[in-house]
This record gives sequence, C-alpha cells and structure tokens, in this order.
Amino acid sequence: MVRTALAALDDVSFVEAASGLRAIEMLVTEPVSAVVLDLNMPDMHGIDVLRFLRSHDHYRTLPVMVLTTRHDEASREAALAAGASSYMTKPFTPGGLVQSVRELLDARVARGGRS
Amino acid sequence: MSDELRFESSFLDDYFAEADEHLVSARRNLLALEGTLGGVASPAVLEELFRSFHSLKGISAMVELYEAEALAHHLEGCLRALRQGDATLTPVLFETLLSGVRALEQVTAARRSEAPLPVIDGAIAALQSAASEAASPARGADPSSQPARQRPGGPSPSGRLWKVTFVPSPELTARGVKVDSIRERLLQLGHLLAVAPRVLAGGGIAFEFDLQTEREDALQAMRGDGVSYEPLGTSDPATDEAPAASGSATASRAWDIAVAVPSNVVRVDLSRLDDLMRLIGDLVVTRARLEDTLRRIEGSVAPRDFRALQEHDTQLERQLRDLREGIMRVRLVPVGEIFRRMPFVVRDLARDHGKRVRLEVTGQGTEIDKFLIERMMDPVLHLVRNAVSHGIEAPEPRAAAGKPGEGTIRLSASTAGESVVVEIADDGRGIDTPKVAARARAAGLLADERPLDDRQLLDVLCTSGFSTRDEADRASGRGVGMAVVRGAVQELGGTLAVATQPGRGTTFTITLPLTLAITGAIVAHVGNRTFAVPQAGVREVIEVQRSDLRTIERHELATHRGQALPVVRLGRLFGIASADRPRFHVIVAGAGASAVGLLVDRISGQREIVVKTITDPLIRVEGVSGATELGDGRLVLILDMPALSRRLRDGPRLKERVST
Repeated sequence: MVRTALAALDDVSFVEAASGLRAIEMLVTEPVSAVVLDLNMPDMHGIDVLRFLRSHDHYRTLPVMVLTTRHDEASREAALAAGASSYMTKPFTPGGLVQSVRELLDARVARGGRS
Repeated sequence: MSDELRFESSFLDDYFAEADEHLVSARRNLLALEGTLGGVASPAVLEELFRSFHSLKGISAMVELYEAEALAHHLEGCLRALRQGDATLTPVLFETLLSGVRALEQVTAARRSEAPLPVIDGAIAALQSAASEAASPARGADPSSQPARQRPGGPSPSGRLWKVTFVPSPELTARGVKVDSIRERLLQLGHLLAVAPRVLAGGGIAFEFDLQTEREDALQAMRGDGVSYEPLGTSDPATDEAPAASGSATASRAWDIAVAVPSNVVRVDLSRLDDLMRLIGDLVVTRARLEDTLRRIEGSVAPRDFRALQEHDTQLERQLRDLREGIMRVRLVPVGEIFRRMPFVVRDLARDHGKRVRLEVTGQGTEIDKFLIERMMDPVLHLVRNAVSHGIEAPEPRAAAGKPGEGTIRLSASTAGESVVVEIADDGRGIDTPKVAARARAAGLLADERPLDDRQLLDVLCTSGFSTRDEADRASGRGVGMAVVRGAVQELGGTLAVATQPGRGTTFTITLPLTLAITGAIVAHVGNRTFAVPQAGVREVIEVQRSDLRTIERHELATHRGQALPVVRLGRLFGIASADRPRFHVIVAGAGASAVGLLVDRISGQREIVVKTITDPLIRVEGVSGATELGDGRLVLILDMPALSRRLRDGPRLKERVST
C-alpha cells in the first residue's frame, strides 16, 4: 500500500527495502534523498535503523519519516527522540503519505541539502 | 441439552471464533505475499502464515474436523517447502495457497452451518504437488538438514566464534549479493549470534555478524562476495562468557531477534457484556425513578437536605454515564474487521469480471459496536460487490472515457458524533438514473414522469425485485440485494444514502448509531401522550408561534433560518387529539433541502433511555422504533426519526422550496 501510494509521486523514483539491514545497505548501493521507515520490520526494529542513521555523520541530515501505528505514542516519541524528521500514523490515506513525503523533500531542497 | 452437549457446542463456538481469526490473518498475509510474487518472500510473513496453518491444524483436530486439519496440514507443508527452498513464490504456487485457504474457509463455514462438507480432494492434491515442487531438490526437503536458526533455547551450538564482516557495494548488489542473502547463507552455516551495521572510516557501511560455526571453509568461499572474517578474540569481554550466556548478550543488543510481546487481550463472550449492559439499563431506570421521587418530595424536606440529595443524584447520574460508556467502549471493535476481507473479495471478483480494480481503505480504526459489525458485514460486502460488478467498467470503456484503466473503490469509515459513517465509493460509470426510472415505470413502481432525485433513486433500487441487469450474475444476485441492504441498515437504526454522477461514479453512505442499547433522548408531549425521540436523529428543536405556520397546498410550512420548513403535526400523524395552542415545539431532522419538522405540543426535557426495540413484524408500526420506560414506570414509545422524516418527505412532493 505504501508503495502504491508513493508511485503517485511521478517525478520521484523510489526503492524498497524489505528489511532493516537491507534498508541500511541500500544507502550505499542506491543513494536516496529521503527515507520512509516502517517501525515494524521483520529483522530489526525501525528505531534501530534510525539510531544507526543518526549516529553517522553522513546520514545525520537525511530526511526520515517514520510510520507508526495508532495508540503507539511510545514508539512515536522514541522515534522523534532518535531523530526522525517527521512521523505518520497508520492507517493513513495514500494522499496523506504522498503529501508528507513531498513536504519532506521540499524542506530538504529549501535547506539546500544534497541530492 | 445435556451438560456434555452444551460444553461441546460452546467449545465449537470457540473453535469457529479462533479458526476465523487464523483464516483472516492467513488471508492478510497471503495478500502481503502477493506483493512479493516472483521475488524473495518476507520470512516474517511466511513465519506468521506458517503459524496460522499450524494452529488451524491443531484446533481442527481437537474438534475432529479432519477435512480442515488435512487442508491446514498440506498448506503448512507447502509453506515449509517454501521456507526451505529459496522462498521463491511463483504465481502458480500463490494461487494454490489461495485456493487452499478458500477450501479451508468453505469447510469451516459448512461445519458451522451444519451443511455437507465440500469435497477437498482436488485442493489437497494441488497442495501436495505444489509442496514437492517448491522444495528445491538441491536443498532437500528433509527438515533435519535445516540448520538451527539463532534462537535462545535452540540446539546447543558448537564451533568457533567468528566476526564476519560484509561490505556491500553497488557491484555486489547488481550480482544479487545483498546483506539479506549473506545473512541467509551464514544462517545455513551455524549459529548466528548478532548482526550490527557499522560505519566505515570513508563513509561506507559494513555489517558485522557474530557467527559460531565449524565451517571455516565455507566462510573462505564467501571471500569473493565482499565478506571477510576473523576469529573473535577470547579477550573480548562480550564473548568471554560461555556460549550459553551469549544468547542473552545478543538479546540485550536487540538486534536480529524478534521479541514476542505478551498479549494482554482477554476474549469475552458477548453475552456477558450484554448482561452487563442490561444491568446498567436497569440502573438507569432506577435512577430515573429516584429522580422523580426527589422531585415529588422537594417541598417536604429541608432545603439543605434536598440540595445534598440532589447533589448525590447528579453524581450518580454522571457515574452511571461513565459506567455505560465504559461498557460501550468494551463492546467497540475496529470497523477494520469488516474491511479486512474486502481486498480478497475485490480481487477475486475483479478477476472474474476481467476488470482492474484498486481498493483504497481508510479509517479501519474507527470503532463500532460488536453487535453492529456482525450485521454490517453482509450489507457492506454486497455494496462492494455491486461496485465491482456494476460500478467499475472494464478497462477498454474506461480508457475510451478518458479514465485510468484501473478503477478505484474507496472504502472508508469515520465517526460523526454519535454515529459511524461507512462509505463505499467507486469511480465507475455511475447509475443510469433515467434508465432506472424507465424500468421502474415499466414495472409499475413509479407513477409519474418527473425525474428521480438521488433519494427516490435509492427507493427504487431498494424495491424488492427490482434489477437493472437483464441476467442475474453471481455477484449481484437477483434484485433482492439492495432491499436487503437497506433493510439491514434500517433495522440497526441507521440510514442508507446514495449519490451518483454519470460517468464519474457512485457513492453509498451508511450511517449507523454507535450503539443501540442506551441512548440520549428528547421527551416530547402531544395531548396526553408522551414520546421519546432519540437525539441522534435530531438536528435541533425550535419553538414556533401558531401565527408563523402557513398552509400551502394542504401542507404546513414554518419559516426557519430564512427557509420554508415543511412540518407535520405528530398528533395528526398518530390520530391523537390535542387542544390548539399558541406555541409549539418543532423537532427538526435532516439538513438543507431534506429538512423536515415534527410538530409537538411541548418538549419537557432530555434523558437517557433504555431502548427496547420492537422487531415483531405483527406489532411493528412505521415511525415507532421501540419502547422505553420512564422513571415513573410509564411505558412510552420511541419515535423512529429517520423513518418518520422519510415518510414526511415522501408523502407530499415538497421539492420546490418556497422562499420567503
């Protein structure tokens, strides 16, 4: 569903990682300008991926949006504390997700971030 | 019924409830797998599916439903093969799994309705051959060749400890060497204690695996794939401990080990909650009596004592309301329970009809009474089916109309005050209203030649026996569908509405009360009769002077907010004699052009009522939804505002607004 929603951003290409380790690997193999991170992944917790990114100078400014589930304020706060740029609560509308990703990308351009 | 039989039947109920949960979860996970067709399936999803089938196998055996047990067993076999092979899920295998699950659903459904069980030999044979194909012969299907996965309490590990480092690169990725595949290969070699990413000095990334294995030769063979390794020094404090303790060290790093969260959900039989709700209903009535008694003795007790009593009474009222809301919340379940099955329905049906349909679901978290949800399943299902089979066009006509080949059905739920709104919207061809009108006239359902508005359109669609399709197809039935849908919605105190635009699509809207049993109501009087009007259907209450009422074409109109508001005297409707008065109260329902007013002598207040619905068709009266007991023990009728306003609007065709 996330993928279908993001496909609507026609001027943006996206890559998908099925696991946390794979997501980290992709930072090297397929440089990205923003990350949409689901906290629930099969191998490692999304928070751990985020902490790893933020501990690394190279990825400290990479925009990361975290997807959390409803009633999980704890994870949301943990994610924000760990350095998430924004968060979105599931269930969300595809339109809302696209809008947020767009905002994230625009904010990065405004700040003059790398591509 | 003997105790043993009773036990058995409640045991079976438990079985059906649990089987249902597993089947729904299996369906969901299969759908997730469909997204990875042809690629590497997520191990977590496979694991969960496997668990579902495994549990189904176990519980089916317990209730001696051997057909279900056999199906679950072979589904489990397929998945085991899939997990041992390189987990490549082919479309054929996927379809086999899907039809296996479908057969399993049919078997449990047949058992539940005590119908003859369907023949499952074909499904089982398909699963068996799929399982043997999926297990790639190179790896062998013998479970004992499966290496132990890292898991505390697993087989005791042996071998040396190694730190294996993998440095990914675009070149390696292009060759298919990724961190996931490296991890899988290491898992085959031995005991994987930990995985962690690390940043390299140049800004790159490396993954470090702590591995216990005897197969140094295999590690050496992996050197070409960006892998390096070194023995873990015994001086390293983290690995100083015995292998048995390293499991906990790994867990504390929180990498790579799924932590099972204990569930704190309690399953409660709905009838127990009904009992509680009934007790609270009794309490509400008792308190209403107390309030009446208080009013009676007001003059005969000391004012200070009376104030104290009144204070306690108010407090009791508040606590009672909290208690009622608490119980109500327990009964609420996410509406997503209905929605979860819909992707499969849409998928199957779209394929049958050669259409491409995307389902967008929002608001699954919206909560609604458990009682309502069970009864809403079929109506929503029917509307979704209609949307696929009648609403959405085939890809070619869509393309010709300048629309994307893939149609969209939006299924959404939201809360609005005391109501829940469920919408089923498609972007299909819309309903051909003139054609429906012509058919209705031909069938003698419609007398005049005036065009239909959306509401009248719905009335025609919901007339039993009406169908615009020449032949009934599997999805739509034979024209009884919409009548049943509206009947079901109305029985639950809800309303159904339709909005359609030619070429743009159709939206059905179901509005339901959050709960049924206890509701806030307005107490209204006509002559010497008293009625209760549930607040959910009331927009506002206004006072009108007799001189403000005008009669046009035998219908009375009041002026409200600069608009003419058609009003009907409740007394006249029910044939109750009442003296003419200079002032009336009018209960307004509906908004905009569909607003109507119900004129009563006076409104005396507002209170919580316990609804006893009248479902006996012999004593059902249109406009009355049930009865309740007021504090003094008097029984009063509860007005069915949606039905009344429908009748008020339908009677006279008051479409032309008289502007003032």
